[in-house]
Amino acid sequence: MNLIGLQTLARREVKRTFLILNQVVWPPVISTLLYFFIFVIGFGRAVGRMEGLPYVQFLVPGLIFMNVVEASFGEAAASLFLMRFSSSIQEILVAPLSYPEMVLGMLSGSTMRALVIGNLILLVSWPFGGPLPHSWPWYLALIVVVSVLFSSLGLVMALWAESFDQLSIASTFFITPMVFLGGVFTAAGAAYRQLPAAFRSVVFYNPMLYLVDGFRTAITGHSNPFSIQIAGLLLPMWTLDLVVATLGATLAFLLAMVLFSRGFKLRT
Amino acid sequence: MKAGIPPAATAAEAIALSDLVKCYGSLRAVDGISFTVPEGEFFGFLGPNGAGKTTTIHCLVGLATPTAGSIRVFGNDVVRDYRAARQLVGLCPQEFNFDRYLTNRETLLYSAGYFGIPRNECQTRADELLKRFDLWSKRDETSVKLSGGMKRRLTIARALIHRPRILILDEPTAGVDVELRLELWRFLKELNEEGLTIVLTTHYLEEAETLCKRIAIIDGGRIVALEDKDALVARLAGHRLRVVYARPLDRPIAIPGIEVEGEGQQVTVQVKDPGQIATILAQLATFGQILDVAVDRKNLQDIFLELTSRSRSVAPETLAGKRLS
Repeated sequence: MNLIGLQTLARREVKRTFLILNQVVWPPVISTLLYFFIFVIGFGRAVGRMEGLPYVQFLVPGLIFMNVVEASFGEAAASLFLMRFSSSIQEILVAPLSYPEMVLGMLSGSTMRALVIGNLILLVSWPFGGPLPHSWPWYLALIVVVSVLFSSLGLVMALWAESFDQLSIASTFFITPMVFLGGVFTAAGAAYRQLPAAFRSVVFYNPMLYLVDGFRTAITGHSNPFSIQIAGLLLPMWTLDLVVATLGATLAFLLAMVLFSRGFKLRT
Repeated sequence: MKAGIPPAATAAEAIALSDLVKCYGSLRAVDGISFTVPEGEFFGFLGPNGAGKTTTIHCLVGLATPTAGSIRVFGNDVVRDYRAARQLVGLCPQEFNFDRYLTNRETLLYSAGYFGIPRNECQTRADELLKRFDLWSKRDETSVKLSGGMKRRLTIARALIHRPRILILDEPTAGVDVELRLELWRFLKELNEEGLTIVLTTHYLEEAETLCKRIAIIDGGRIVALEDKDALVARLAGHRLRVVYARPLDRPIAIPGIEVEGEGQQVTVQVKDPGQIATILAQLATFGQILDVAVDRKNLQDIFLELTSRSRSVAPETLAGKRLS
């Protein structure tokens, strides 16, 4: 096992993050502050409580989730794509690194960025009445799992894309809409009740719903009161949160591993 | 460091290619080539653009996966024992491929890291290499600000950071001016004298003549010549004498021991020894009034044409048979 090689790859990703602070670290902080300005200071009183939580407590876990997703996907996708684009990926391909080492090295880099940004959002929300994690271990573990999920997808996109334009397809058409519809700003229950009966169950097919709820549960200690019936079993929402997160992360990770081990667009 | 444990049995064979084939779709970019490079040799790998040089190099260093055949580096198969094999090889790629987020010193340190060398063990070596290749004053800048020659030297320093025993240079002097070329040649000669095995691809015959001990010529994915540089140059190099007569000749040119090509007013003579040119010219003058004379040195292109036309006319069945096997 080339552990030093793996660490060097992760270190390279972290270094990249700190060299492009204005692109990747300050924007999430500033947008979080702007969301507070609009939703907490502006609408907060009108919104009142949501799913039994004060609105700021409801909102912060969602914002952390959203930024963890963006940081993980963005780091993995942009970094690997730029390496392919500039051929600097060759430096890594000629080194004695196995495919799992390459993937793990890149994923640890983007997961570290996700951890930094998630906690930064937590920190800037705190003076505005934001919550501190109800369970630190669950909160940190979720960041890691969700980050592995979206970093792996980022790697897959970076291999697939042939241009920056193609690279943006996933976030523009899938990730961002699904995150926004996944209950970051509004309760899933509210959306559920507003939709025509035929579309109601669609809400629950959005995997982001469970990931957001996972964050909310870990941070505030309150899960979505919905229970979901699958194959005759009435499952509380938080169990599904765990299943979606771990299953999603495993599948995405395996997909990235398969593409790497085939040398897909890496080795000719 | 790690690159110091050769498998004793095959230590003398730095590189062994055996029936290497690399296909891209229906294109056979490398079509069954075999050769070995002993340790310590300066080996030239020549061929025109698209002949398969870079593809072969890419198979050797791990940037491409061979379709068939095998490559061994000090006895380690580059696919099966890739870790051991890659540890022993340093690559200077044709195109600059530096990481844009790293300074020049970091370029060396991170590369060492990818090769599994702890940071505290490679700092001194990185500084030595930066000084040796005259990059010390640029150590904290990024590669973007370096001149072409400096970038080229940085690729060599980077290739050497993990103490490989083989250095592979893919067209290091393409597009480099004369002064820089001479400087690079000096560095490469020094490294080879220190015991490093060097494989150089180029399409400049002069470069191969100056540096290499043995030369392989590849064309259309096949080896068309593989021998000692001196033997190859003696056999194939030479001069070409072109003569234009004032009027069409009334009798054919017949000079014993000299082969004359062409007809009408213009003829061409291949001359091995430049000392003969004057004699041959005098003999040619006896056949008619000479209007114009041109002498040029045969270049690699001519040698290619000779070798490839010969390999295609002499043994097409053998080659076809080889392809099927």
